[in-house]
Parts: sequence; C-alpha cells; structure tokens
Amino acid sequence: MDVPLYLRPRVDPPLASLLGAAPFLHSLVDALGSPLNVLLPETIAENAERFRAVYRRHHLTGRVYFAHKANRSSALLRRLAAEDPAHVGVDVASPAELRHALGCGFTGDRIMATGPKDPEFLWLAARVGATVNLDSLRELDQLAELVRTYGLGRADVLVRLSGFESVDGHGGAGTRLLSRRSRFGTPVREVETVLSAVERHADAVTLTGLAYHLDTTGLAEKGRALERCVLLMDECRARGLAPRAIDIGGGFGVGYVADAEEWERWTTALSEAVLGGRPPLTWRGHGYGLRNEGGTVRGSVALYPGHRPHAGPGYLDELLSLPAPVLGRAPGTLLLEHLHDLHIEPGRALADQCGLSLARVLDVRPTGEGPDQYLVRLGMNAGDVSLEEHGVLVDPVLLPRGGPEDGGQGPVGVHLVGNLCLEADLITRRLVFLPALPRAGDLLAFVNTAGYAMDFHAHRAQRQPLARTVAVVGEGDSWRWCMDEDYWPITHPGGKPV
Amino acid sequence: MRYDSITEAIGNTPLVRIDPAVHGLRNIDLYAKLEMLNPFGSVKDRPAWHMARPHLEGAGAGEGTVVELSSGNTAKALALLAGMHGLRFKSVTNRMRVPEIKELLLLLGAEIEELPGRSECLDPTDTDDPLTHFHQALSEPGSTYLHTDQYFNPRNVEAHAAGTGPEIVKDLDGRAPDWFVACVGTAGSSTGVARVLREHDPDVRVLGLVAHKSDFIPGIRTIDEVHQVGLFDPATYDTIESVTSGEALDGMLTLVRRCGILSGPTGGAAYQGAVRHLRDADSALDGSGRRETAVFIVCDRAESYLSYVRARRPELLGRAVRGHTLASLTEDDVRAEALSVGVEAARRRIAEGDPGPLVVDLRSPHAYAALHIEGSVNIVDELFEELVRGGLPFGKRTPVLLACPVGEKSLRYAALLTRMGHPEVRSLAGGIVAWRDAGAPLVRE
Repeated sequence: MDVPLYLRPRVDPPLASLLGAAPFLHSLVDALGSPLNVLLPETIAENAERFRAVYRRHHLTGRVYFAHKANRSSALLRRLAAEDPAHVGVDVASPAELRHALGCGFTGDRIMATGPKDPEFLWLAARVGATVNLDSLRELDQLAELVRTYGLGRADVLVRLSGFESVDGHGGAGTRLLSRRSRFGTPVREVETVLSAVERHADAVTLTGLAYHLDTTGLAEKGRALERCVLLMDECRARGLAPRAIDIGGGFGVGYVADAEEWERWTTALSEAVLGGRPPLTWRGHGYGLRNEGGTVRGSVALYPGHRPHAGPGYLDELLSLPAPVLGRAPGTLLLEHLHDLHIEPGRALADQCGLSLARVLDVRPTGEGPDQYLVRLGMNAGDVSLEEHGVLVDPVLLPRGGPEDGGQGPVGVHLVGNLCLEADLITRRLVFLPALPRAGDLLAFVNTAGYAMDFHAHRAQRQPLARTVAVVGEGDSWRWCMDEDYWPITHPGGKPV
Repeated sequence: MRYDSITEAIGNTPLVRIDPAVHGLRNIDLYAKLEMLNPFGSVKDRPAWHMARPHLEGAGAGEGTVVELSSGNTAKALALLAGMHGLRFKSVTNRMRVPEIKELLLLLGAEIEELPGRSECLDPTDTDDPLTHFHQALSEPGSTYLHTDQYFNPRNVEAHAAGTGPEIVKDLDGRAPDWFVACVGTAGSSTGVARVLREHDPDVRVLGLVAHKSDFIPGIRTIDEVHQVGLFDPATYDTIESVTSGEALDGMLTLVRRCGILSGPTGGAAYQGAVRHLRDADSALDGSGRRETAVFIVCDRAESYLSYVRARRPELLGRAVRGHTLASLTEDDVRAEALSVGVEAARRRIAEGDPGPLVVDLRSPHAYAALHIEGSVNIVDELFEELVRGGLPFGKRTPVLLACPVGEKSLRYAALLTRMGHPEVRSLAGGIVAWRDAGAPLVRE
C-alpha cells in the first residue's frame, strides 16, 4: 500500500478537547443512540465575534446575520440571540425559521427574511418588523399590498440584486467578468423599475439598503458587485431615498482539512487515478467530476475546496481590502467613506467548529478487493452527514470504545457505508484512511458538520432513527450537556443560573 | 534585415551562453534560447502565428473573431495578429492574474472574458459550466469564431518542431544538446522541441518544469493542470520537477542582474530549475573529461511582471522615502501632537470662527459627492499625502479642520501638519460618521 492519503480535519479548541473526552461521547451515544449530533453553542458566539473584529478593523457598522438554514438548532440560535442586538441578527428563509428565531429570543428588528416568500411569510415578517430582503418586484407589490390591507407599520426592505456581469456590457474592447447565473434577486439592469416601485409604495415600505448574494469563491466578482452597489446607493440617494446598508450575503467559506499538503496530495492523486496511473481513491473509481478522455483529464472537480488559505473572517477581510475596479479604493474604505452599514449573512462560516456528528461502528469486513481494504458499516446514513452532497472530503476521527487497543496495526483504508439497504448509501465515496481498523462499538466522529452537513438532508427513509442533537458546554475539565431544545444561554444545562 | 511583414520577424532567436561564473556548473555549458526576442515578445509568437495563419490568410477583412483560452502571451500574439488582419480577438480565462498583461491586452484591442470563481455551495446539478457554454458558442452554426485551441492543436507543437528545435540544433553546430529544459504551459514548446532533438540524438534528456501546486508562476501550469492539457504527454519528459514562485524570482534576478537577459519569471523558473537539476549531473562529470550542453528557454520579458514582483518581493522595488510622510509618525507622536475637536465644537467654529476653518474632506471624490459638510473642500488622502510631502498646502493663518470617515486618518494628518508648523489644525473627532450620527447636516451637490 502507498503512503495513506489522509485528509485530517482542522480541529480547533474547544472541539479538540471535546474529542479528547471519548468516554463522555460514548456515554452520550449509549444513551441517545447513533447517529448523534453534538453542538457547541459557545463557539458560534466566538465566531460572530471574529467577524465583528473584521468590522472593527475596517471601522464598519452593521450586522452579522446567521443564515439559519445552515443548521436548525435552537441552541445555536439562542446563543446568538444573547449577543449584542446591534451586532448580531438572523437570516430566515421560511416562515418556520422565522417563528423559530422569534421563539429563540430574536426580536423582529434583528431578523432578515430572505429567499422566495409566499404571502404568509411576508405578512408575518412585516407584522413583527423584520427586514424583508426582496427577491423580486412581485414580492414588493405583494408586501406593500399586505401592509396596506392589514394596517401594518411600514416594512423595512432591502432590494436584492443579481446579474452584475451584464452591467458593463461593451461593444468592443474591454473586460467582462462572467458570473454563474442566479435565480434569485432582480437583475441590475432592471434596478430602475424596482426603485420606481419602491417610491410608488413609499407609504408601505422603507428602503433600508441593497443586497446581493453571489455563489462563488471569486473575490473579484464579489468586489465588483459590492462596488456596483455603492454606486447604486448613490443613485438611490439622488432620488431622495435614504438607504443605509449594503448586504453582501455570505459564502465566506470554511477550511475543513487541516493540512494544505494533504489536500494537495489527495487532489493530485485523484487526477492520476482518473488517468489510470494509480489505483482508484474512490468507490468504483468515481472521479468527482473528472473523467479520462484519451489520456487527458477533462471536466471540473466537483468538490468543496477543502483547504483554503482564507476562509470565514479572513475571507471577509480580504474582500474588504481588495481595490475596487471602478473607484479604485478598497470596498471597506468605500463603505466607510459613504457611511454605509455592512450586513453579512454567513451560514457555514459562522457555524465553523460548532459541532460534530457521531456514528457507531456496526460492522467491519473485508471488501474482498484488496488485501488491506475494508467495509465499515455505520449507524448513520449519507443523509445524516451530507458530506457527499456538499463535496466535503474529510476524515472522521476514530474514538475507540474503552481507549486505544494494543496498536501495531497501522493505517488502514476503509469504505464507510451507511445503514440503508441501498448500494448508493455511502457516507463518502472516498477510500478513507484511519490510523487503525475500527471495531464494532467504536465511534467515528465527523468534525465540523454544523454548517449544512449535519442534518441538512436527513430523512425518514427506511425508518432508520434520525439523529438527536445535544448542546454541550465545557466546564473546567468536564462537559455538561442537554438536549438542543432545552438549551438556554442564561442557565447551565440543568437549570443552574450561569 | 528587411521584411515585408512583422510576422517574418518571428523565430530565428539567439542562443546565448550563460557565463559559468554565474551558474557554477563546471562541466556543462548552459545556453538560453531567447524567445523573448520574438517581435511580440514571447515564445508564443511562433504557435500563435502557425495556428492562426491558415485562418487569417483565408479570412475576408473584418469578418469574425479569433478566440483563445489564454491569460497572457498567446493572447498577446493573437490579438496583434488578428488586428493586422482586421479581425477581433477575444480571450477567455480565469487566470488573468497579472494586471499589466491584462491592460496590455486591452490596449491591443482584445476583449477579455473572465470565467467565474468556484461555487461556494456545491450544486451537483450545475450544468452552467462556463467552459461548456464557450465550446457550445464556438460550434453554433454560422458562428464566426476562429478558435485556435492551443491546448489541443497539433500546430502548436509543429511550430516548435519546425522552428525552435531545428534552430537550437543549427546553433549547436548540428548537434542536439544533452539536456533540454522547458517550463510546461501548453506543452507545445517542450513537445515540439523534444521531438526534433531526439531525432538527432535519442539520448537527449528532457526536463519539464511545472509550478509548485499551491503557487502561481505566470505561464506555467501546476502538476494537476498539465493533465488537463491535450498536448501533454508524460513520455516527453525524462523528469518532471516543480519550482516555486520564489525560485522563479531568484532565477529572474540572476538573469536580469548578472547576465543582461531581461527575462520574466517563467524564464527565471527555467534557469533556476535547470541549474538545480543539473548540479548533480555536473558533479558526476567531474574527472571524466567530458563536457555536456544544456539549453533552456527564456520565454518572455520582465517588464510585464512588475506587479507580480511587487506582490512577492516588494523590497526589490522599494523607493526611498522623501519629505514629510505619515510613516515618520509613531502612535505616540500622533497622541502627543494632534488636536481634535468634537462635532458640536466643530459646528460652532464653522459658524462663528473668524476666519472660519477650511474644512478638508479626505475621502474619495465619489463619497464626497454623495454627502459632505457644506463648504468643505475635497482632497483625497492619497493626493493629500503627496501634497504635504512638498510642504504645507495652505497658509498658517488659515485654520484647518480635517475630516475623514472616523477621525483616525485625519488625526494622523493633523499631527503631521502640526509638526510641519501649522498652528491651527484640528481633526474632526469621530469623523463624518460622528457628524452624521449627531444629526449635523450633510449636503450633496
């Protein structure tokens, strides 16, 4: 066997010390079953503070909104609700999320309603004084109508824009920055129409800002959109509107893999395997989007960039510091000089290091293909940790029952399969290397699943148990835990006041 | 030398020996093939002309657009060639990371389409792959695109098999060198030259250089990226090694400062990679009485890469500090020497002062135009810094109130002007933000 191709996870404290408490985690799974989700609500507050530090560095005001859809937990939401209302809010994308946010202690003025909205969602958002991030002109008309019909207070709205690439279309020489098409928001070329509608509905809505969300890791595209919004804010002011905020959405990213070299070695090996130059790294030689055409690799790799030099707050800092294409100054400076608030909506990045998903090892057997390869069946399925769905490649951490064994066995390659009676139910298609062969009864901990990967795609197919979720809080050398729905930031788990 | 067209000046580039005192190899003669001396400035002039020629010479005037996936030298050559033949040129790329090259392309009249970044939220159903769109557009019926397709076009290789390779053999008096060293971009030059050299001498050893995976060297691909190149065949190379941008810059500096060869970083990478690799072979030749020769390619020139150098080795381009600058002030100096004034007091001074202060807004003109304190003048900070280098920009009897967004930058300038002898300079505490938050009026014009 080659050198094992590890992709070991980045584990920061306090998650690292939680992983060190294997007996505690085993006792949780013994009591609550496999799979089990564990959340660290303190960490999400620390992450919000890291984003705030970037705001301070650039002297910017505005809110960090947690994109609720990244995780359905109550504990995370309640912990954020306890933060400074001027600094932290929540972004909800459904009526249920809105009700949940209210129930967790967010007042309406700290809530932003995004995504496509039906009348019930619009009415409740306006009723509680949430800011409505308008997806379309039709939504604006609908909202204004509801405000008038039901005698609600004027609703704060942001206009979400898209299609930034088409704005500087040109006939001859020039640069055009292509962007992936989005189905959300109003194309920038139609901004005139929306602003006219905002003016027409002035009795029912107040424009508080402009918004965009681009699904890209490209800083240049985002920088261009941000600058374009600064220019448009000026047009709004010239029309007598008084917007204050630019909402730049999320997409700041998370680094899942600790070591850049491991990531690079693995992705290089993937190309080589696709070309047939080495044994497959995946179940049945899956290429993650790459294919071999006559000895040349074609296609693009459909994987989340596992190791990234700049993620989360670092990415935001970089975005705010890059010179903008038209006005020349950095976006951070532009926002500050124009007196605009900055709103952001990180989902994944705010939930970084906030949780892990635990699964019991049920069965271990040889694949029958290679002498050193095994199938490891887990008490969990691909829906419980949607690593494949999101292209996240990272090794689980092995937590042996009763501590490490005699050792001496060395690294071993395993395929992780789920508990569904489906050939396709693989926890990951990758051949995973573990430091030792696990045994039935051991736990595998999937780290950093709180953002989108925890129970985003969990389902009741085949009546397998859905993961329960607990919140844990470190206390000296030990941990306290409670069910997610029982967590409140003002009391220790168990009810004792903090 | 008299030519009817600039295209006749492509090729026949010099082969120049590198002084052994510079590279330190005792038994190997190292030669640089100066492809930078092609008329459009790079090794890519050859394949660009060879690939485009059949299309261009047949094309009617002003019909269609030449397109290529290129971030640099191929685009440059094709843009010039297209322009000569009355055609347009479009470059599609997501690798246009060197601003000078981009601006040069715009100057040549090229259109640039930059591909989007990677998706942050993975969408497995995504069919919106821009490259797919690109190829669909090319194959639409009635399309007037001429795609030179440098990564797959055999004429890319042929240009070197017919030109670069034979020129090297001719200049070495009919012999192939023992070593050939090339950076791998499209793999065109390495494949074409290697083919010709091996026809002369099957024992030629070919060293291919790729960029270190997480690094960026213009014009060189990383080990993963070369597998995506249709012309790349691992069998061409006896060895493939990676070089870092640091090594590329080291090599470039040696060529520029000690050899009089105005090479860009790719040539630097080829030189540094060659010397690194040949050191062992050189030792092995000690005492054998044999001499060997090695050839590497200097593919383009230094001028286009100043920002690349500035980003990685700013000290190489450092300018001496002159005059009064903010950099000369410590935090303690600022605290000790700067005076600030709150919004209320500032408003009183503006209304009642005799004379009232000259309010200087240090923000960008666009921000100033959007909203500013009535009667203020706008001198953007970058300009202001240049101004005060030469001396005080206003008389000492004019009181001055400096304003920036939050009162931080203006405080530093207030300290500097005070140090320069102005008796009455204040910084607006909390800046325009505090002014706005206090409900004081801001106007737009």
